[in-house]
Amino acid sequence: MSKFLSKFFAIREIPVAIALVIVLGVTAFANPAIVSRSGALDIFLGVSVVAFLAVGQTLVIAMKHVDLSVGSTIGFSAWLIGKSTADGHSLIYTMMMVLFLGLVVGALNGYLVAYLELPSLVVTLATMYIVRGVFSQISSGRTIIASEVPKPISFIGLNSFYVVPYMFIVVVVLVFAVGNIMHRLRPARDLYAIGSNLPAANLAGIPVAKRVFSAFLANGLLASFGGIILLSRFNAADTNSGTGLELNVIAACVVGGVAIAGGVGTVYGALIGAVLLQSITMALGALGVGQFWQLAVNGLLLILAISLDRYLTLRVKPSTIMRVKN
Amino acid sequence: MVSTLLSVENAAKNFGGVKALVKADLTLYTHEIHALLGENGAGKSTLLKTLAGVHVLDAGAITLNGKPFEQGSTRLAREQGIAVIYQEPNLFPDLTLAENVFAGRQPVKNGSVDWKSMQDQSRALFTQLGVSLNPLSRARGLSIADQQIVEIAKAISTNANVIVMDEPTAALSSKEVARLFAVARNLKENGCAVVFVSHRLDEVFALCDRITIMRDGSTVSTSLTSAIDEPQVIRSMVGRDVSELFPKLEAEIGEVVLDVQDLSRDGQFGDISFSVRAGEIVALAGLVGSGRSEVARAIFGVDRYDSGTITINGQRLHAGSPSAAMDAGIALVPEDRRQQGLFMPTSIAKNAAITMLSTLRKGFILRSSAERKIAEEWTKILQTKYASIDDPVERLSGGNQQKVVLAKWLATNPRLLIVDEPTRGIDVGTKSEVHKLLSQKAQEGLAVLMISSELPEVLGMADRVLVMREGHIVRELSRHEATSENVIAAATGAVTI
Amino acid sequence: MRIKFTWDKGVVLLLIVSTIVGSFITPYFATSSNISFVIQDVGEIMIIALPMTYLIIAGEIDLSVASIVGLTSASIGFAYVRGVPFGLSILIGLVVGTLCGLINGILVTKFGLQSLAVTIGTLALFRGLCYVLLGNEPVDFLTAPITHIGYDNIPNTFLPYSTILLVILGAAAWITLHYTRFGRWTFSLGINPGAAEFSGIPVQRMKLLLFTLTGLMSGVAGVVYSFRFASASPSGASGYELAVIAAVLFGGVAIAGGVGTMWGVLAAVMVLGVIRSVLQLSNVSSNALLIVSGSLLLISVVLPRAIEVSRSRRKTSTP
Repeated sequence: MSKFLSKFFAIREIPVAIALVIVLGVTAFANPAIVSRSGALDIFLGVSVVAFLAVGQTLVIAMKHVDLSVGSTIGFSAWLIGKSTADGHSLIYTMMMVLFLGLVVGALNGYLVAYLELPSLVVTLATMYIVRGVFSQISSGRTIIASEVPKPISFIGLNSFYVVPYMFIVVVVLVFAVGNIMHRLRPARDLYAIGSNLPAANLAGIPVAKRVFSAFLANGLLASFGGIILLSRFNAADTNSGTGLELNVIAACVVGGVAIAGGVGTVYGALIGAVLLQSITMALGALGVGQFWQLAVNGLLLILAISLDRYLTLRVKPSTIMRVKN
Repeated sequence: MVSTLLSVENAAKNFGGVKALVKADLTLYTHEIHALLGENGAGKSTLLKTLAGVHVLDAGAITLNGKPFEQGSTRLAREQGIAVIYQEPNLFPDLTLAENVFAGRQPVKNGSVDWKSMQDQSRALFTQLGVSLNPLSRARGLSIADQQIVEIAKAISTNANVIVMDEPTAALSSKEVARLFAVARNLKENGCAVVFVSHRLDEVFALCDRITIMRDGSTVSTSLTSAIDEPQVIRSMVGRDVSELFPKLEAEIGEVVLDVQDLSRDGQFGDISFSVRAGEIVALAGLVGSGRSEVARAIFGVDRYDSGTITINGQRLHAGSPSAAMDAGIALVPEDRRQQGLFMPTSIAKNAAITMLSTLRKGFILRSSAERKIAEEWTKILQTKYASIDDPVERLSGGNQQKVVLAKWLATNPRLLIVDEPTRGIDVGTKSEVHKLLSQKAQEGLAVLMISSELPEVLGMADRVLVMREGHIVRELSRHEATSENVIAAATGAVTI
Repeated sequence: MRIKFTWDKGVVLLLIVSTIVGSFITPYFATSSNISFVIQDVGEIMIIALPMTYLIIAGEIDLSVASIVGLTSASIGFAYVRGVPFGLSILIGLVVGTLCGLINGILVTKFGLQSLAVTIGTLALFRGLCYVLLGNEPVDFLTAPITHIGYDNIPNTFLPYSTILLVILGAAAWITLHYTRFGRWTFSLGINPGAAEFSGIPVQRMKLLLFTLTGLMSGVAGVVYSFRFASASPSGASGYELAVIAAVLFGGVAIAGGVGTMWGVLAAVMVLGVIRSVLQLSNVSSNALLIVSGSLLLISVVLPRAIEVSRSRRKTSTP
């Protein structure tokens, strides 16, 4: 039995799931009003954007990289969708623009990190600002208002299947789709190898540059298509859309078991992590903690998640300990 | 039926003026274990890297399985059937053993990864190799010996028929070495050619069928093991007679410098008590993993310990501070030159001076000219060969690098010098120089604690031998008492002689 | 006589070139009032870039510096508005900054966490605390007359008072990095932390000290910031970390650690200031500044890499 238990808890996603249950339980206990349709909707809606972005970020972090440009990309995309629709273009045309944006940003990041072998932190920090700058320049302060949001997009945000908004269902479908691919597709397994030991991955004949490029390209595309979710969530978009999301996305991933050191973690865990963080935010609100504390709490949670992850890794004994009984 | 598997003829390779290979030849047959010997700088490494696909020859031909060998790509080398097992295997710590064996080449079924097949195949491979490893466990925390087995399993699964083992036994206990030998013989039976690169001649003679010796970039001899003896091998490697490998000088034994009492660290070593006097060379012998380096690191302060006392020249030394140890007059030449001993991209001067910065500065200000001066002084004493004192230390050969490490520590004028595997990975000629140096220093009053896994070195240099096993000192032998048999017996726990 | 062309010399050259070009592009650039402005503009960035240089050379990084600047400023405002004398408020701010640095240091050394990830967390934490202290409203210090040294010039010169501070700190940082044991140790940490420990360098203590110093200097920058704007706002100095890191990397410090010079960084800070000034004077929008800063950061890593790649193609590989 204890062997089963130790194997059970060794699954990285389990402790997070348990933490989620605990937080929800405590919140429900402290503020029973939360256990309602509006409470549930709040969580699902609130988590959707971050969860969507966390899927792509998982691919990147698993390789021991990071992509800080997603906030700028998703904001730009949301605005583009609104602007394009307001200008009377067809949905197809609009989606082509979104595709183009994702390809450009993803390819730029991918090329610099994969082929020029530049550190992803620096590269995506730079592209985060460049994309934001280009976005501001192009938008020149023009805000997208609710009436300019394409109908299908506002639909998924305003309507729900029982207590689950369609927006969230889209996210869950994405999570399972990508999660499945990550488990079954050979090239996807390479991402973990790259994150776990880069020189060994090269020696093993894995086409590292190609994989890294693809992952950043995919993340760029996902961030761009995430604009749909962002626009749906807020029914508006302006030059500040998406600012600061990177932190929440990375926090969701790390909390969900996608170690910042690379090589481990799944999109399922990232989803649970995102939901957990959102629940904590809601719990704090329910407990009467002011909104000014939110940013500070988010930061604290990220630190806690990283600490916990490190603690769990340290529990494995290194091989220098007595090789006895030979 | 034995046939020629690989043939390298007249290989030549230059690196910007440095002739790494001049006229190297190597012929491998199926069903054989073939030793490749040579001092550092003889060209073994370059030849092996060429076979591994890292380098392309400037001249010469390589034929594998009757066809020309495609050079210059590690992937192609693997595909053509060559696998290299390095001294420090490079696994993926976060992936399972099965994933490690099949990294990048997982079996597929209907387009997706066939996890069950991968696990079953891995299990079969481990069984075939005679090891009980769980394919589902993660690679993190695996011993080096087990990691090598995983690498070998990987090699077999890629149908490699040339398997190169580069100094595989350096970090292995004797039981693990025996296991590795069994695996190598297994591979030989299955038709592979196993290339065994090692500095340990006793192992070479025990395991290998043929020996190829390289010197200065060329192959100087290839023969059956049975047709050659150790002195001949050494002569071919060095090009001269090395009669006095261990020039031990008589030294006057003085006061106790280091006194260790009941030193313990849970899980690593326990009840360690011994002393070292000025002028003495005390060897700490034992199998890899017996806790010797851990004791040394605890004395020097890099690692902590749970209980016990360490006294230097009568003064109690507190735990956990290398700088306190240095102030007390202790110096430690670490086991791993590359990771612990030197700053590879940094100049020889800065490396040699790093321990002396406090004394070199005037007030707060430190000048590089002071660093150069002290570096030149000490590297000269140690007869270190280099082009310029400002060259990065990674350009030097292994032996000269070790001399820089020694320079750095001898410059601090220590009372106690701890050396951990002082001649590992060093050619025979430099080995002898290092031994002579240690002996001289002891004669001058230095107390030396030497950790070594090489029995000849232990027997040749030590005034006293302390044998450790599983974290405890199990036997103390004086210079006259110590023999290979009783040291190994104590180290392995066999009935003492 | 051949002078070896190194990256930091290139940056100094670029500084000279951009200053000359700048004064041709916009007539106002070369005026004394503008030079005074540029010095003020880069002041905080330069102060923070000094310890950041040490950190990155030592193989670490701190993304929370801008938040520490903001929190220092917010603390000063918080205290002052509640009647604490201005001098004491400033002291409180410096203590806060140092404590923030200490927290970062403890998280990295005692908890063993990676500085990249953990300072993303403290970036949010410290910035969040700014909002906790000040809410959404800025605080002004107009009633504290001494703040004039934040934006005034030294009498009879065109140099702002802050120049004195910058010169002293810059010189101290430069000498310490290249001519002291502390500087050598900093480089050692970045090149090989294992060998550093085995050479008797107190690795953990050094790192803790470096992070704490970074916090203190960010605190100093926070004081300078408060003086310059005679106010404190919760979003103060937002985004400064980009400019600081861009300057440090552009100045020739390798992101992997172990390499760099102080005067390369000092020159890079000035280059960024010059470029910003020229753009502003040419009426280019602030969006363009974002694009330019981001691009410079990219260039600062792309260019050395491109040079390295072309060099290794010409040289043959090592045996």
